[in-house]
Amino acid sequence: MDKKSYYSETYMPGIIRWGKATMLLGIITMFLPPLVFSAVFGYWPPISAILTGTLAQISVSGAFYVVEPISYFPILGIPGTYMTFLSGNTSNMRLPCSSVAQEAAGVEFGSRQGTIISTIGIGVSVIVNIIILTIGAIGSNVILGILPESVTSALNFLLPALFGAVFGQFAVSRPKLAVVSIVIVFAANWLSKNGYLNFLGGFAGSVVILIAVFGSIFAGSLIYKKELADDTEEQVK
Amino acid sequence: MNVNYLELANHPIMWLAAAIAISVVILQSVIFIRKSLAAAAEEGITNKQIKMAVKSSVIASIGPAIVILVTMISLIISMGAPVSWMRLSFIGSVNYEAMAAGFGAQAMGTTLDNLDPMAFSCGVWVMCCGSLGWLVFTLLFTDKMEKVNHLLSRGRQKMVPIISAGAMLGAFANLSSGNFFNAEGGFDLLGAPAIATICGCILMMILTKLARTKNIGWLREWAFAIAMFSGMIIGSVWNSMV
Repeated sequence: MDKKSYYSETYMPGIIRWGKATMLLGIITMFLPPLVFSAVFGYWPPISAILTGTLAQISVSGAFYVVEPISYFPILGIPGTYMTFLSGNTSNMRLPCSSVAQEAAGVEFGSRQGTIISTIGIGVSVIVNIIILTIGAIGSNVILGILPESVTSALNFLLPALFGAVFGQFAVSRPKLAVVSIVIVFAANWLSKNGYLNFLGGFAGSVVILIAVFGSIFAGSLIYKKELADDTEEQVK
Repeated sequence: MNVNYLELANHPIMWLAAAIAISVVILQSVIFIRKSLAAAAEEGITNKQIKMAVKSSVIASIGPAIVILVTMISLIISMGAPVSWMRLSFIGSVNYEAMAAGFGAQAMGTTLDNLDPMAFSCGVWVMCCGSLGWLVFTLLFTDKMEKVNHLLSRGRQKMVPIISAGAMLGAFANLSSGNFFNAEGGFDLLGAPAIATICGCILMMILTKLARTKNIGWLREWAFAIAMFSGMIIGSVWNSMV
């Protein structure tokens, strides 16, 4: 069996089969805590209250159910999408670990090698996260006491620095695209924050993500037209 | 009638229920990692590359995991440890969880800091029901999304890295953008979060460039963590000065 067929005929179908099975299993087991609480302790909230609360949540998150998986798919690929949307923490762990792992291994982003390395990187981050949270959940009271105030307040700035660092990693290779994408994103956010997108109602936030991601991809295809043109010739051959 | 709901929320049987759910997440990661290791051998990826990928991912995960831990503790105060532990190992993020639990409590006519067992129960149900959308959508459509990539690249191989670079730059510029606006919707480039973002970005650019051109192995693995923590420290020092 040659390399290409192992990846596309053994690896990917296996990932998809297990991906679907674990997502389904995840959906079922996720309901164990509320089921156990209601059934064992006898607190069944009225269905109408659950529905009211859920509908309120859907009005906030509804568009993101579709927009987030589609927007991050070009980065995460099939295995990464299954893992990310089962384990959460997309922007603060899964995406950074996917790109950091590919950078460290020196593989081409989004290639077959890149996808495999990215999957390993994301898997490792899921396990690290669970280990740390497990320790934390069991010892939450103790930990609160140990961490000095200065540390907890400094941690407020970890995510901003993380977002900047991930951006920087890609800006090094594609500085022109980085500048253009800042312009696109800030224009979209400025419009949204100053009320010019209010006509979109609850969809304004997800439209901004779509503009940010797909606008930058489109800008990339224009900026690197020459690079791409060479490729088209190769394909014609 | 005055039952302390937190005693029930932290009951061993709740720990057990949460642990079963979390074990599914671990199971998935272990299966995917094993399959990827097998595929790596077929694709000619060296053991050294895998080691570097694993190491850099561990290093990059620790900082954010500690942030999640600290925010989890704020969720534990209202929702108890087992549920918070499960939700943040699952599809969660603290903002979402606090909001969903809040909506659940609201539907029972109370708030998160004033829960009774019934409102707590409703909060947990809403947390789970509200996140179904992501899980069901990815369950049904992930294997069909390859078409999105084909549509974008129109089959051109060289377009693939441009797509991922464009998507990452767009997504992370967007995630950072909130740090550069003030409450009135104007630009604010000198706030502490903005400074942390800029420093993290510039340091990462310098370190990545250095690691690539001089081919420094350890820097490839550590660049991200160094940039992230330095940006954080500079941001918090800046914050205490202004």
